[in-house]
Amino acid sequence: MEHEVDGWIQQLSQCKQLTEADVKKLCDKTREILMEESNHDLSELFRIGGNSPDTNYLFMGDYVDRGYYSVETVTLLVAMKLRYRDRVTILRGNHESRQITQVYGFYDECLRKYGNANVWRFFTDLFDFLPLTALIENQIFCLHGGLSPSIDTLDHVRAIDRVQEVPHEGPMCDLLWSDPDDRCGWGISPRGAGYTFGQDISEAFNHNNGLTLVARAHQLVMEGYNWGQDRNVVTIFSAPNYCYRCGNQAAIMEIDEKLSYSFLQFDPAPRAGEPLVSRRVPDYFLVNYHLYHELHDELIVIFKQ
Amino acid sequence: MAAAVAVPEHKLSESPNSRAIEIFDWTVTAKTGPISSAAQCDALQASLGIPHPEMMFGYNLLQIKHRPSGWTYAFRSEDALRGVKSGPLEDGDGGVKVGYADTWLKSRTGADSQIPLPQMVATKPYDWTYTTTYAGSLDDAGSRNAQWTPAEPSNAHHSIPIAELSRPDPILFYAEIPLFDDELHDNGASHLLVRVRVMPTCIFILSRFTLRVDNVLFRAHDTRVYHSFASAPPLVVRETRGWEAPHERVKRALPRRDDLMPLTDPNFICKVLSDMPKEVSQEAGAGTGWRGLGTVVQVTTLQP
Repeated sequence: MEHEVDGWIQQLSQCKQLTEADVKKLCDKTREILMEESNHDLSELFRIGGNSPDTNYLFMGDYVDRGYYSVETVTLLVAMKLRYRDRVTILRGNHESRQITQVYGFYDECLRKYGNANVWRFFTDLFDFLPLTALIENQIFCLHGGLSPSIDTLDHVRAIDRVQEVPHEGPMCDLLWSDPDDRCGWGISPRGAGYTFGQDISEAFNHNNGLTLVARAHQLVMEGYNWGQDRNVVTIFSAPNYCYRCGNQAAIMEIDEKLSYSFLQFDPAPRAGEPLVSRRVPDYFLVNYHLYHELHDELIVIFKQ
Repeated sequence: MAAAVAVPEHKLSESPNSRAIEIFDWTVTAKTGPISSAAQCDALQASLGIPHPEMMFGYNLLQIKHRPSGWTYAFRSEDALRGVKSGPLEDGDGGVKVGYADTWLKSRTGADSQIPLPQMVATKPYDWTYTTTYAGSLDDAGSRNAQWTPAEPSNAHHSIPIAELSRPDPILFYAEIPLFDDELHDNGASHLLVRVRVMPTCIFILSRFTLRVDNVLFRAHDTRVYHSFASAPPLVVRETRGWEAPHERVKRALPRRDDLMPLTDPNFICKVLSDMPKEVSQEAGAGTGWRGLGTVVQVTTLQP
């Protein structure tokens, strides 16, 4: 199996899609892994002090629906999860959903590249099993969107019945969709749905749960990352030159064994052949991807280190 | 083939984030750069009083200048956003909620709700769709203090000559300048894109706002600015058109029912909306009462 997955990874690294049958196999196998891991909804991964000196990777959602290579990108990511199950964690973003992908492009891309919707179905069925949150060393709470008024403690997160299509209501929806806001307290977005949360909320959440930081994705920022709410929340955005026209930098958050963190920013057009990140191997990367094209090769570089 | 048009003398210039053409009495400048930095966005937000769109191209600019009179007209994102309603939406603003707003709220306020609303603070109301009828900014009224006046329907010069613009004349200068983009948190999309074309006989600008709110509506607002180098005294024609239709109605125009991608294409949206009968997309719209519906043609005459 390992050998086969290595072959897939190599093929995908050249941005060549897998056959429909291979995608099915990949998704089936990965679902098994995710189900084994899902004893806790909270993926309490990344125990420090283990034997493995390897870097762990955490991806914070939104792998599809942008750019021309969503299929190759998400296939690669899932293949890496299958191959390096203990080192790679992929969280669910609001785009990892049947409804959203039918509007924003992934469905269409699957149809175009495979001639039918099977691959789209394999992946969206798999997305139901992706964890919503991850906790790093009981200190950093990672998720795609933001906090939920239904979730005061990490135990509430564990209680979520999450293996389903992303609903329009409830805490699961909030974790994937909510946004920090300048105003204190909980607010309803002027859109008529979705919460905003103020600094008092994130401060209380971190304090009550013994956390230092909420790390989330979901919003584009020119610098690739952005501190908010008196450093209770950080937004990380890891796709450079988003949608081929924003000219933004991308960032990944690097966390060492003492849980001190730094941000690696990179530009829209990285120079070929040069490693993207520092030589020192970090312990964790927090990555938010609307991952595509430009990033495709970079992902491999990061991973091989 | 139409007869070839002589190419007039002109001068092109270019820097990394800016391009310009000088032709006859005009200078046309297009600036495009990356999205605004976090600090710029914060400053903008403070000044506008509303959250900025996800993709905010604060540097971008299209400017046309008539050198003899000094008349200068421009398109920029900050000015466009000043046209977005800040505060509670009222009649004419065309305010809408997302398609599932009722379901969302009911699940949190219904009698059997398992997840009641927490104590809430009032969020600042504003038009989250970033709807704007922005038709450009008069940077300099020029020596004659030129104003826009209604076009005379009987005057052939007071309209935009589609035949001339469709002629395959050489394009001396072309630029696409995005001003803002927002995906409305995956509830649709709001775009404002300006395009400019300079041909041997004319300058033509199209500034196009398009809005899609999933399962609710489509909306578009076009501003076209046209100047013929042959006009004497120099005349600028500005035409604005607003359309709107329920989501379902536009969806019916899809070439393939199971392929929704064209609904994300502003050109497709505008084509469908403008092909509908006027009573549908320029009068009834999507029933929001938005004041941007309809067509207005205006002209301004410059000092030669």
